[in-house]
Amino acid sequence: MDIRPILSALLRNRTGAVLVGVQVAITLAVIANAFFVIAKRLELVHRPSGNDSANLIFVQSEGYGPEYQHVATMRADLALLRALPGVVAAAPSSSVPESDGGSSSGYLTSPDPKAPVTNANVMEVDPAFLDAYGLKLVAGRKFRPEEYVAEPANNDLPPLVMISESMAKRLYGDAPAVGRPVYDNGGKQGTIIGVVSDMLGSWPRNVRPGPYDIVYHATGGLGRSWRYVVRARLGERDRLIPEIEKRLNEIGNGRAVTWVRPHDFWLLRTFRPDRRMIVFLTTLVVMMTSVTALGIVGLATFHVNARRKQIGTRRALGARRADIVHYFLIENGLLSLAGIVTGALLAWAASGWLASAFQTPPLPAGYVGLAALALLVLGQLAVLWPARRAGAIEPAVATRTL
Amino acid sequence: MLDMQHISKVYRTELVETHALRDLNLTVAEGEFVAVTGPSGSGKTTFLNIAGLLESADGGHYRLDGVDVGSLGDDARARIRNQKIGFIFQGFNLIPDLDVFDNVDVPLRYRGFAARERRARIERALELVGLAARQRHLPSQLSGGQQQRVAIARAIAGEPRFLLADEPTGNLDSLMARQIMDLLGEINRSGTTIVLVTHDPELARRAHRNIHVMDGEVTDLKPFAPRPAGAPVAVA
Ligand SMILES: Nc1ncnc2c1ncn2[C@@H]1O[C@H](COP(=O)(O)OP(=O)(O)OP(=O)(O)O)[C@@H](O)[C@H]1O
Ligand SMILES: [Mg+2]
Repeated sequence: MDIRPILSALLRNRTGAVLVGVQVAITLAVIANAFFVIAKRLELVHRPSGNDSANLIFVQSEGYGPEYQHVATMRADLALLRALPGVVAAAPSSSVPESDGGSSSGYLTSPDPKAPVTNANVMEVDPAFLDAYGLKLVAGRKFRPEEYVAEPANNDLPPLVMISESMAKRLYGDAPAVGRPVYDNGGKQGTIIGVVSDMLGSWPRNVRPGPYDIVYHATGGLGRSWRYVVRARLGERDRLIPEIEKRLNEIGNGRAVTWVRPHDFWLLRTFRPDRRMIVFLTTLVVMMTSVTALGIVGLATFHVNARRKQIGTRRALGARRADIVHYFLIENGLLSLAGIVTGALLAWAASGWLASAFQTPPLPAGYVGLAALALLVLGQLAVLWPARRAGAIEPAVATRTL
Repeated sequence: MLDMQHISKVYRTELVETHALRDLNLTVAEGEFVAVTGPSGSGKTTFLNIAGLLESADGGHYRLDGVDVGSLGDDARARIRNQKIGFIFQGFNLIPDLDVFDNVDVPLRYRGFAARERRARIERALELVGLAARQRHLPSQLSGGQQQRVAIARAIAGEPRFLLADEPTGNLDSLMARQIMDLLGEINRSGTTIVLVTHDPELARRAHRNIHVMDGEVTDLKPFAPRPAGAPVAVA
């Protein structure tokens, strides 16, 4: 509409406009980067576990007495767990997924020690682990009961392994991995017998090994401390937790059950910093945009009060209420736009600096666009109230005010 | 052109009720130049505001150009102000942030004229008031008389049928006041009906007809006298 005279009037009253424009610019730069971080953290928190997480219970057992017999106790424990009503399946599991604790190892596709190494999360399990975690066999076959080695002589690569789909892709790309060899960095060879649907391994945030890169060994541990994964039937998890603790402790034999916990325990702990970051940044975004909105309301109110006579005169000369409201909407739109353009450049500069200083990924343009849109809409909503008050100024103000 | 019957206006504040107009009756014919005089507080500005649709009357009937304006909505009244009425204020009421050209442009933009037509009208109006060379000056860079001439250009650029002026010379010295009155006379001779409020009987004498307002009523209707200069007068 009538942009040019509005712009020239605005340029003759720069001080307040510049302050609010700078405020819009800084807000844009901050919230664009905040949106990006929030989106990344949300994605992390909501990444699919791949297992039946809501029904999983983890148990840690610790042998301490001289009479403790590791293999016999494990066998008795698993028999008891599998027979408990409400338990779908149970298996030994050397570590808890998404707990930020576990072991990893390097794997090669060639015996040549100079060949590229792919790191993976190693999980020591028994043949029941697919049912216990709720995973699916994607290719090949499962471990057979007789292939499980309860007391391995060492930590070397066993002759048969199963791997996750992601790991299969890393090692062999789109070619079938079943039947292909893997090597440890000592040149020892194993054969991939099956590929398992992906679940998040020990370190959900890691890049190396990737969060879904897992190699499963059908071996028991060397130590006296061990863990089980128990999958409860829907709705039975919380009832089973104290029951499992009590029943396993009854088996005794110089060992103690150190904890029995739902999988949620680790999810809450592992992702607490991410949730806190999301809450903090969301609060920051709300506060900054509120202050900016107040700044816009304040400046517009000041302009309306300072121009009462001018507005009355415009009404006397034929402006409708809507024309006056539009005037302030356009004025604020121009102001916001100037702030937004400055802010977009600022956001890019800030993101570039962050990227080079902290190796963070660069800010995608979409987030700047999103923040710009949010600020523009918010700004127009904020100015609506003073603008409507301006529209209500009577034309008689033109003759009654000196 | 203008026909007011039994117009009343009351201002109410918490403490007092002011009867600014009581039973005011007045008709103005097309092409007339009417001067309204009266003591301070007698209701002259109130009358002018109602005549110019800046305010509504509380009682009575007002027909402007054959239209009963009392029943019109806010937007319709704004359109009439924009198209049929030109306003000249005692305080000039120029918009300080806009230059001369943009000030004259204000009502034309609300009228929705195309840019080319607006430019032509602005240049013609500024030519008439003798300020064609000052288009890009700000109001603060002009003298009072020049500012009022800009305001007159703004009032006539849309070629209204009806021009209302509330003490247009009240803030000017006598020389400038005379120039403004000459300008208004010229505009009237081209066919525009003018109602002028003034304190100055000297200036009032230059109109066709004088109306005296006292306590919100017309007290003294002087007869329609031929203008001294013998110039042609259009009467509808
Ligand atoms: N908005 C208002 N609220 C209350 N009273 C008002 C208002 N406007 C005018 N009045 C009162 O109405 C009466 C008429 O005022 P008006 O302005 O019409 O007088 P006037 O003849 O123009 O006076 P002046 O020559 O001083 O300009 C006065 O008593 C004035 O105080
Ligand atoms: Mg007055």
